[in-house]
Amino acid sequence: MVAKMDKSATDLLTSPGVSSLFKSLKLKTKQQELLIRVTILFLVYVLAFITRLFSVLRYESMIHEFDPYFNYRVTQFLTEKGFYEFWNWFDSESWYPLGRIIGGTLYPGLMVTAALIYWTIRFLRFSVHIREVCVLTAPFFASNTTLVAYFFGKELWDTGAGLVAAVLIAICPGYISRSVAGSYDNEGVAIFALLLTFYLFVKAVNTGSLAWALASAFGYFYMVSAWGGYVFIINLIPLYVMVLLITGRYSMRLYVAYNCTYILGMLLAMQIRFVGFQHVQSGEHMAAMGVFFLMQVFYFLDWVKHSLNDPKLFHTFLRITVTCAVGLGAIALGVGTASGYISPWTGRFYSLLDPTYAKDHIPIIASVSEHQPTAWSSFMFDFHILLLLFPAGLYFCFKRLSDATIFIVMYGLTSMYFAGVMVRLILVATPAVCLISAIAVSATIKNLTQLVRAKGKASHSASGKGTTSSKASSKGSLDQSLPFQRNGAIALLLGAFYLLSRYAIHCTWVTSEAYSSPSIVLAARGAHGNRVIFDDYREAYFWLRQNTPPDAKVMSWWDYGYQITAMGNRTVIVDNNTWNNTHIATVGRAMSSYEDEAYEIMRSLDVDYVLVVFGGVTGYSSDDINKFLWMVRIGGGVFPVIKEPDYLVNGEYRVDKGAAPKMLNCLMYKLSYYRFGELTTEYGKPPGYDRARGVEIGNKDIKLEYLEEAFTTSNWIVRIYKVKPPNNRSLKCVGIALLISSIAVTMSYEAAKLIPTTSSELWLCFHLGKARSVASPGFEKLI
Amino acid sequence: MPSPVGRWLQVKACGLVQKSSSLAKVLLFSAVDQAATRRSQPEAVHCTNTQKIEKMGRSTATKDAQALFRTLHSAYAATPTNLKIIDLYIVFAVVTAVIQVVYMAIVGSFPFNSFLSGLLSCVGTAVLAVCLRIQVNKENKEFKDLPPERAFADFVLCNVVLHLVIMNFLG
Repeated sequence: MVAKMDKSATDLLTSPGVSSLFKSLKLKTKQQELLIRVTILFLVYVLAFITRLFSVLRYESMIHEFDPYFNYRVTQFLTEKGFYEFWNWFDSESWYPLGRIIGGTLYPGLMVTAALIYWTIRFLRFSVHIREVCVLTAPFFASNTTLVAYFFGKELWDTGAGLVAAVLIAICPGYISRSVAGSYDNEGVAIFALLLTFYLFVKAVNTGSLAWALASAFGYFYMVSAWGGYVFIINLIPLYVMVLLITGRYSMRLYVAYNCTYILGMLLAMQIRFVGFQHVQSGEHMAAMGVFFLMQVFYFLDWVKHSLNDPKLFHTFLRITVTCAVGLGAIALGVGTASGYISPWTGRFYSLLDPTYAKDHIPIIASVSEHQPTAWSSFMFDFHILLLLFPAGLYFCFKRLSDATIFIVMYGLTSMYFAGVMVRLILVATPAVCLISAIAVSATIKNLTQLVRAKGKASHSASGKGTTSSKASSKGSLDQSLPFQRNGAIALLLGAFYLLSRYAIHCTWVTSEAYSSPSIVLAARGAHGNRVIFDDYREAYFWLRQNTPPDAKVMSWWDYGYQITAMGNRTVIVDNNTWNNTHIATVGRAMSSYEDEAYEIMRSLDVDYVLVVFGGVTGYSSDDINKFLWMVRIGGGVFPVIKEPDYLVNGEYRVDKGAAPKMLNCLMYKLSYYRFGELTTEYGKPPGYDRARGVEIGNKDIKLEYLEEAFTTSNWIVRIYKVKPPNNRSLKCVGIALLISSIAVTMSYEAAKLIPTTSSELWLCFHLGKARSVASPGFEKLI
Repeated sequence: MPSPVGRWLQVKACGLVQKSSSLAKVLLFSAVDQAATRRSQPEAVHCTNTQKIEKMGRSTATKDAQALFRTLHSAYAATPTNLKIIDLYIVFAVVTAVIQVVYMAIVGSFPFNSFLSGLLSCVGTAVLAVCLRIQVNKENKEFKDLPPERAFADFVLCNVVLHLVIMNFLG
């Protein structure tokens, strides 16, 4: 069977030229096959790396998006200051005035990996900059993921499926979206760790060896250090064990694998400070512990049954033990949950089970665009033909059920459910979909090629030969008289190759068009088709870095916090970590209040500069005015004085003349549209035409009282305003001074009428002049 | 950190364990008692119906428990010596874990990481010993190709990793 497969693989792939090359190298069939496999894997490794380099080639080697800037800043700190400083770092440059304990609130896996790679390369005397290492970490780990996918496919089905899985996952857009060069985020490393943990666990279940289970525990440790999504692993593996126990497929190997992985994995995971004691205290991790205890009881009962050899006695024993165990477990769980010792599921993960939860209770989670439910178009965009091959692969898995295929089926189904709930989780489903589709592709192509090769073997493939592939060859022998069997198989093969080639073209196109934009540099087509680059973000951050005092505090919406701290090197009020909802709500309240109320809030937070993003000139649609309703909702969630209906007209969000008056005068509106009323943005439209909203703005004559414009970038995308310090003399004093001086002037004029003219006029002029000099500073301020 | 509540929980759990073990002891002693005083049987006939049924139920239960205990004991006596040594090690680890839990129930769980590392080292080494027993047991057909030296080497390696992590976690 194996030899037949080898021959079919090699015979299909070797043309006369290549076969003569092989003959000249004097290779046996097995070695030919090994050479082909290694070549394919090497090419796939290189392919996975270079397909992620579009943005580096088009723009430059820079970090993309928002979150990666924080990771980059932390990695820089780690390589400069060393591990001890990094582990104990308290950052006062973000979340002013609260600060943030960075050492204890991050997942260090990514940063430590990049730092290790950096130190290794430095040790070999290549002087690279840490930014290059950070930019290229994700593609490097994507290549490693393809290797793990090959071994996993080999474990599940056979080497053919492994090779196809490696190719599919190398270019699948669902994975590329979070692992392009420059996307220095946790998921780039975490998907590698996820697939590695699953592969090692399945290997441990298949072999029953403690060494593989130990390796799986280390894989789990790496996953816990890299990403918060490790909760998926710690729930999927117990669910898998439960399914095996219920369907009666359990064995001693399962006991060895699960127990070793769970205990060692749990201990290793608790070494990460951010995770802490969650494995014994959080509701999300209780499933694993419950299954652990269940396994002990189950296997103990199995052992007793085996040693008793008497069903009646065993039944009584069973009754006593099971009631005791279940009672104990239920009491412990109930008491723990009721007393609050076992914390319930956190909002982030609870919203996966109940998708409507976040919108009502936690607006911050609901506001992130990646957390929205997935549309079919997103599935098709990210998976293409894999979406159709997924059910076919499931069919093949059910045809040949084993411990490993049950695992991949469960992984595929659960991850597809979660991918349907949240767009971001398509990434977690991608390895499962690629593996299952690879099984479908590999099994189909193998059957078809055997049909094609069944030409002279009809007489030899007797009915008594075998059960596995002889179905296909016996069909060939039965229909030997019909020549269309072979031609049909060739046609189907050509069709399969056509589908795969279309998949490759689609993936490359998607990578090039959709997933390679750095988000911090925007590109558009000009009027003559030439490419126009908007580098406004970096322009603004470098202006901040070079033109503001080093201890200046910048207030902006939390999206830009990481970038301001990393590139502008200034203290921010809120950033993307979003750990303190009240602080963010304070900023949201400031942005949605009138200017004087906002000034009070800004003075209380020591704000020196305010940064807003405005897309009205360029038509950039992810600007702060479009995000404004979320600021209102989040602010209103904590401060009831901010009410969302105040900013809407008949439930509609408008910025033109018909907008709500509070909307037209709030701080965000003023800061975005200051001086915009004089600008003509498009030919044929009136001045003040907002290209992102497509309307002419309502309030063109904006006056700022407490802020002044500090900097606007060349395409008006980022606008920075300076908060003015309070006046030296207040207006009340000025008014009183004017009143007194006018009374004095009038009285002296009346008095002067009684005095001879020349001296009285002289005296009058003198006193008038004195009064004016007192009143003039206030006069100028009034004007 | 609700440690008083956690302590109460642990106490409750310990209480239940003690209760069930005392119940088992009562069953055993009553079985022995019944065997010793067989002459009390005729008096049972004169009792009322419910008491008769109750006594009969209790006697079948105790007889079952007694027979169970005897069968298990005879089956266990047949296991080879190396497996018995591993079983002794497992019992030792579990007893140590129980002692630690009782101690924590008495004095509170303040350095929680220390408590967890102590408890998990006992539970971990017990579980690894069970895995070793499974792999070394000649009756398991799945592991007949595995040389016992390899099984023991895996056991030692896992224990080394376990205790290194424990020492880091102990604080």
